[in-house]
Amino acid sequence: MSTDLTTTATPEALVAVFRRVLEREDVTADSDFFELGGDSLVATRVLSAVARDHGVELTFEEFLQATTPAGLAQRITATG
Amino acid sequence: MSGRTGPSAVVVGAGIAGLTAATGLAARGYRVTVLEARDRVGGRTHGIEAAPGAWVDAGAAYLGDRHTELLALMAELGLKTTPTTMLGASRFALDPDPSADPGRAATRDGRFPPLNAVALGDLFEQLAELTAAVHPEAPWLTPDAERLDALTAADWAEQQLRHPDARLFFPLFLGEMTAADPADVSVLHLAFYLRSGGGLRYLNAFAGGAQQDRIAGGAHQVCERLAERLGPRVRLGEPVRAVHQDADAVTVHTAHGSHRADVAVLALPPLLADAIDFRPGLPVPRAGDRTARGCAVKVHLVYPEPVWRDHGLSGWSVNARGPLLSTVDDSPAEGRIGVLTGFVTGAEAHRFAALTARQQRAAASEQAAQLFPMLPEPIDCHVTDWLNDPYSKGCYAALLGPGDWSRLGPTLTTPHGRVHWAGTETSTAYFGLMEGAIRSAHRVVAEVLARG
Repeated sequence: MSTDLTTTATPEALVAVFRRVLEREDVTADSDFFELGGDSLVATRVLSAVARDHGVELTFEEFLQATTPAGLAQRITATG
Repeated sequence: MSGRTGPSAVVVGAGIAGLTAATGLAARGYRVTVLEARDRVGGRTHGIEAAPGAWVDAGAAYLGDRHTELLALMAELGLKTTPTTMLGASRFALDPDPSADPGRAATRDGRFPPLNAVALGDLFEQLAELTAAVHPEAPWLTPDAERLDALTAADWAEQQLRHPDARLFFPLFLGEMTAADPADVSVLHLAFYLRSGGGLRYLNAFAGGAQQDRIAGGAHQVCERLAERLGPRVRLGEPVRAVHQDADAVTVHTAHGSHRADVAVLALPPLLADAIDFRPGLPVPRAGDRTARGCAVKVHLVYPEPVWRDHGLSGWSVNARGPLLSTVDDSPAEGRIGVLTGFVTGAEAHRFAALTARQQRAAASEQAAQLFPMLPEPIDCHVTDWLNDPYSKGCYAALLGPGDWSRLGPTLTTPHGRVHWAGTETSTAYFGLMEGAIRSAHRVVAEVLARG
């Protein structure tokens, strides 16, 4: 199971997650989740996707410290 | 009926759908009569004057930028939006049994509920998948519709949700979105409702979503202004008992008289439409055996000021225990009073509605004081029980249960001879919302005009 998961997350992979859950295309690696209209419900979907794709379970508080695709990718890689 | 004086229409129901349809038909030369059972117009919109000149919405209240037909109608009527206030921290009281562990009973402040984020995310990812798969205009044609229509949301949660936090949060979310108990709605209806309202994120959100704004001065003004323009064509206190058709006309019978016309527009919730005696009878009823009333009781607690704001709190709370499963700051822009609106939904609504007015006030103000200990005693408390209202039979909207979409969906808007159907439950776009009511009225006007 763990061999299917990669804890090396790329900003591009997180950009794709942000685009999907925020339903908007104008997301870059440095876009801030909350400035893009993200809220707590949408944030949980990001964290679910991260757990599924990278095997890392982050809390709300951890997410609040890394709210861009680039920042979140770094955080996942560091945690994993 | 369409002799010297032009065609005629009787509209049943003076809510947003009925009055918008009547206005549209009148503008196209129809002689219209609107029959309303209550002694007021507005249907599921209703205003309460909480302080002199300061109105709160006892019924439908919110809108967002995608509600384009409502915004256009408001502009025409000279009504403006006012933003909902959501500054500050939310409060969460999500321990289902605080007596078991008093240490956990305290409320929590913040942006996020004190629950497992990944578990909630898994829940919403599953709901998003169901929402994306549903056929937006014809939910009964959704792939796998038969299975999804047979399953209640409670069955689905039982099968799909493993984490206790997801099991705890799902009914609260469903109650907030649809005023339903999970046992009342099919999964197909849940997915349809979320899709119809613009998807999970849009329907749930305040800023940038379906709760972004209210109507300044109250949503009830939409109907009041429409009715003012229609003047004596709107007749109050006329509950409709029967709708009979012959070769030449349709006759609508009320408790006080009969109204004959070329067409009738029934702008009613499905459970009310089914209580009318139709001759000839309807080939398919408007509601099914499992169609339930939207289970909403709305409580307005009035305080001298919105004191929670001074403590960095938004007034928004989400609660595992009733009666107030969520609260929101609905303080009117006019005046100084603070209004905390509580939503009592699902099974809680049934319990709460059975209490006396005194018990309701005590229960609501006590819970508000636990959530917001800085609150003084409320100066007033208004309880609006939509669940048991004989001329709404529920709010926000009818809840379609197992089998309902498959059976009722294909004839949702099909005219029955001279009888046409309006009302928010006949709109697959923004079903259950004011926007859906207006869209249904525009559709029905086009249908009637197309009869030729």
